[in-house]
Amino acid sequence: MKQNMALGLVAVFGLALGQAQEIPDRPEKLTFPPLIYDAPNPADYRVELESGVIVYIYPDRERPLIDLSVNVRGGSYLDPKGKEGLAGLTGYLMARGGIPSSPADELDEELEFLAARLSSSFGGLSGSVGLNLLSKDADRGFEILRAVLAAPSFQEDKLALRKTQTLQGLKQRNDDSKNIESRERNFLAYGERFWFNRHTTAASLESIRREDLLAFHHKWVHPKNFIVSVSGDFDRNEMLKRLDGVFAAWPHPGKKAPPVSQEQKYGKPGVYIVNKDVNQGRVSIMLPGIRWDAPDYYAIQVMNDVLGGGGFTSRITNRVRSDEGLAYSARSAFPGGVYYPVVFRAGFQSKSRTVAYATSIVLEEIERIIREPVTKEELLTTKKSFIDTFPNNFSSAAQVVSAFASDEMIGRYAKQPHYWANYRDNIESVDIAAVQHVAKQRLKLDQMIILIVGQKEEILKGHPDHPVKLGRLVKGGVIELPMRDPLTMQPAK
Amino acid sequence: MLGLTIALAGLVPGQAQQVPVDERTLSNGMKLLMLERHHSPAIAGGWVARVGSVNERPGITGIAHLFEHMMFKGTPTIGTSDAKRDAEIIEQQETVRDAMRQEEAKMRLALRRGEIEDLAKPENKTERYRELEAKFKELIAAQREVLVKNEFDRVYTTAGASGMNAFTSNDMTGYFITVPANKLELWAWMESERLLRPVFREFYAERDVVFEERRMRTESTPLGKFQESLEAMFWESHPYGWPVIGWPSDIPAITKAQADEFYALHYAPQNITLILVGDFKADEAAKLCERYFERIPRGKRNPPEVVTEEVAQKVEKRMNAEAEANPQVDILWHTPAAGHPDSYALEVLAAVLSGRSGRLHKALVLGDEVATSAFAHQMARKYAGMFNIGGEAKEPKTPGDVEAAIYVEVERLKNEPVSARELQKVKNNFAAMAVRRASSNFHLLVQLIQYEGGGDWKSINTEIPSILEVTAEDIRRVAQKYLTKENRTVATFTRKAGTKVPDDPALAGLSGEQQAVVRRIASQIKSEISLERLQQQLQTMEAQLGQADGKQQGLIKIIMVKVAERIAELSK
Repeated sequence: MKQNMALGLVAVFGLALGQAQEIPDRPEKLTFPPLIYDAPNPADYRVELESGVIVYIYPDRERPLIDLSVNVRGGSYLDPKGKEGLAGLTGYLMARGGIPSSPADELDEELEFLAARLSSSFGGLSGSVGLNLLSKDADRGFEILRAVLAAPSFQEDKLALRKTQTLQGLKQRNDDSKNIESRERNFLAYGERFWFNRHTTAASLESIRREDLLAFHHKWVHPKNFIVSVSGDFDRNEMLKRLDGVFAAWPHPGKKAPPVSQEQKYGKPGVYIVNKDVNQGRVSIMLPGIRWDAPDYYAIQVMNDVLGGGGFTSRITNRVRSDEGLAYSARSAFPGGVYYPVVFRAGFQSKSRTVAYATSIVLEEIERIIREPVTKEELLTTKKSFIDTFPNNFSSAAQVVSAFASDEMIGRYAKQPHYWANYRDNIESVDIAAVQHVAKQRLKLDQMIILIVGQKEEILKGHPDHPVKLGRLVKGGVIELPMRDPLTMQPAK
Repeated sequence: MLGLTIALAGLVPGQAQQVPVDERTLSNGMKLLMLERHHSPAIAGGWVARVGSVNERPGITGIAHLFEHMMFKGTPTIGTSDAKRDAEIIEQQETVRDAMRQEEAKMRLALRRGEIEDLAKPENKTERYRELEAKFKELIAAQREVLVKNEFDRVYTTAGASGMNAFTSNDMTGYFITVPANKLELWAWMESERLLRPVFREFYAERDVVFEERRMRTESTPLGKFQESLEAMFWESHPYGWPVIGWPSDIPAITKAQADEFYALHYAPQNITLILVGDFKADEAAKLCERYFERIPRGKRNPPEVVTEEVAQKVEKRMNAEAEANPQVDILWHTPAAGHPDSYALEVLAAVLSGRSGRLHKALVLGDEVATSAFAHQMARKYAGMFNIGGEAKEPKTPGDVEAAIYVEVERLKNEPVSARELQKVKNNFAAMAVRRASSNFHLLVQLIQYEGGGDWKSINTEIPSILEVTAEDIRRVAQKYLTKENRTVATFTRKAGTKVPDDPALAGLSGEQQAVVRRIASQIKSEISLERLQQQLQTMEAQLGQADGKQQGLIKIIMVKVAERIAELSK
């Protein structure tokens, strides 16, 4: 009952339809009825099951569907040395490698007959098992869910197939310059030894056996590491009972997922180039990062939005794209990491000969936001873009519970239970001085790393109308990075 | 059979999942579709212009898409602080551009005569062109003094609107945004203003942006340029043959005058449908739309009909591309347009082939193990359709092996009726699709744009019931009719030399030369039949291992593994 109230609190006071009045020449002359919106409160949806598993639950009878996600703490950061790729294989094969009562192919056949969607995966820091099905099939669906979570079979033939498919994927690592860029960016920003730079290799993949999957599964896939979100066509109490059943009497002891290693090393400033024969260079400009719980987080988000996060209302997009026509996409992000600082990044793609010029424009804008205060108008636009779009975070039942489950996962609910209730005030309180302060404090220009993937010679040639020398843009000069062997991730000889 | 009926019993397909759109027509011929949903205080608003690349002609390919970009540049009051001055500058800019176009014609002539090699190279510009370019830049600088940068976006963003964007396809151009529920009038103001009196300022910079988009999506991706060639080969007479983004020669030659003309013809109210999904009252919203959008006068003439039909294909067409990609095959067949009854049977046929329990996965990935993945789908566009099957080879199998295995499945479909259970399975999924589609305002808006732009929004409610009527015999008939050799175009992709990845994971990390050595030795080992000689070799290498340097050690170890494997094989 209470859940439905949260969205019921929305009050839109009739549309102001000035029938006879003239249409104004500027939109500022329009008046709008107020829109009052109270954020849903996570506590209203949060339930702790008998097993200790936290569930966010939201019945919604609009459609005869149930949507559920079991989020699992753990991921490839827990891959044993030499077995990189294990978490990924385990995650994928939980739902795809059979269960005791049904071999994989039969299970696939049954699920597709029921038009049910069952998926499982492990990413870097967390995994999930998702189930979306017609509510009439709930009994069978939850039976399968229990089996997939507690006793997946990891059939040998399915493991072999998945390994082949993964190897096919590895072979493509150097095909698209986009993949090279994101990989090298991570090496430069976090160091070779950082957990997510330990890539799956042909050898690590080859060494993974079914026993490894079982061991990984038994250790980490346990109610101790679960957080659930569920919404859709069900009775609240019945669903809670069902879930108690799914997590009861777990067959193996399991361990709580340990904290993520902080062993990271930000690279040496400089301009790094990977030579790749494509007619458009991809550029990433990086600076040291922040975490989401930093005290100046909101001011940083506002600052980045003005600089390059706000799309067409941001400075980098305006200059690189709209003014100069140098890129289709030009933007910046300063997201704030959950478990470790995540770097600032500005990026764009431009034809080889204008890469240097476009880079110099982005640098000018970074320097300008440090040097000069942002305008009142820019601040207003940015704040509104965060504050007035706020209800969009909760526009469906599934979105509400998944947002709250994600907060629970990253520890935000424990640390800041009123995060959403206070969110708009926190953004509102940022002023021009605060924006300039964080620009000065957080954009550490002397540590700038620029990564470029593209035709090295053409890029270094630059453009006759805009004589910019890449090597002079930052200290450290131009350094060529070798391509990596796609199967070993070792720099090519 | 009883079981199958029960399985579907809880779900009433068709009727229960109708999307209850309220359709109206404004006095100027513009259509209005409204769908009330009161889940959150927001409205997804958009409109679709029934114009896409199919309405272009050689020389201006890409104009529909470039035009879409221009629709965000503002109006006389949005985007400039001085509309009069702004208009004067735009006119002066066009005069300079006309002179530049004369120089461009000279440069194109020089290109044809082989005097220059590449028009895009900055060094190849004529002296006069450079002068004009400098003049144009001065006018840009003058315009910036009165320019209010990206104001169209700023007004919306400051009002709490989000997700403003647009897309162009072969058949349509769609525009969309989400606004807070109390800002519907702002939406009506903004959208009607830009339709009533758009100003295409910053035209030439935006043209460059579009070319960067072409480089990003088509030219610098592993398969983009080949997909473009494939479609150009597939369509012989039909305007679907050129890319939506436009040919590289055409994009930089499109003029603002052409864009003006394009707007006048294709953005007339009778060619546009407005669509609202979300938290509003239909009658109030309709009044608002009438007030704002009926200001736009009906176009004097209707856009010309697309009359060119695809000629019947007479022979199989093939291409092989050496690409930076895994070996794969991509096969296209001509099929009918959206709304043709056969397109529903083809949808079902594609579904029978797809999915983890579908025929392609079972036969190609699990059975013959020729492929690591395979797919099938039917794409019914407004004027014609295509059916597509493809898959990635499991090395050392080749794209040819995958292709042959695909034809085996195609022949099966022609010769044997699909089983009742298979048919029921795919129908269950289509029925569920109707249930799932109402996941968000935005999702519904985009689907209504797609259906309306592709012909008629009502298909959102009629398509699935039509699909549920398809019989096994229909499937066999359309397979026989369309999936023929003469009607297909085949692209095979093999890995480009120099980007080869070793088939044998053990060779990873070795140089090309080292790999060749190991391969040669490995093949000798494979043909060795004497256990004794192999064991001797193994001992010799063990002894060598101690004295070898790091690099050699790696090589020796790989060979030792090969020898050991051969010994194991012979000892079986």
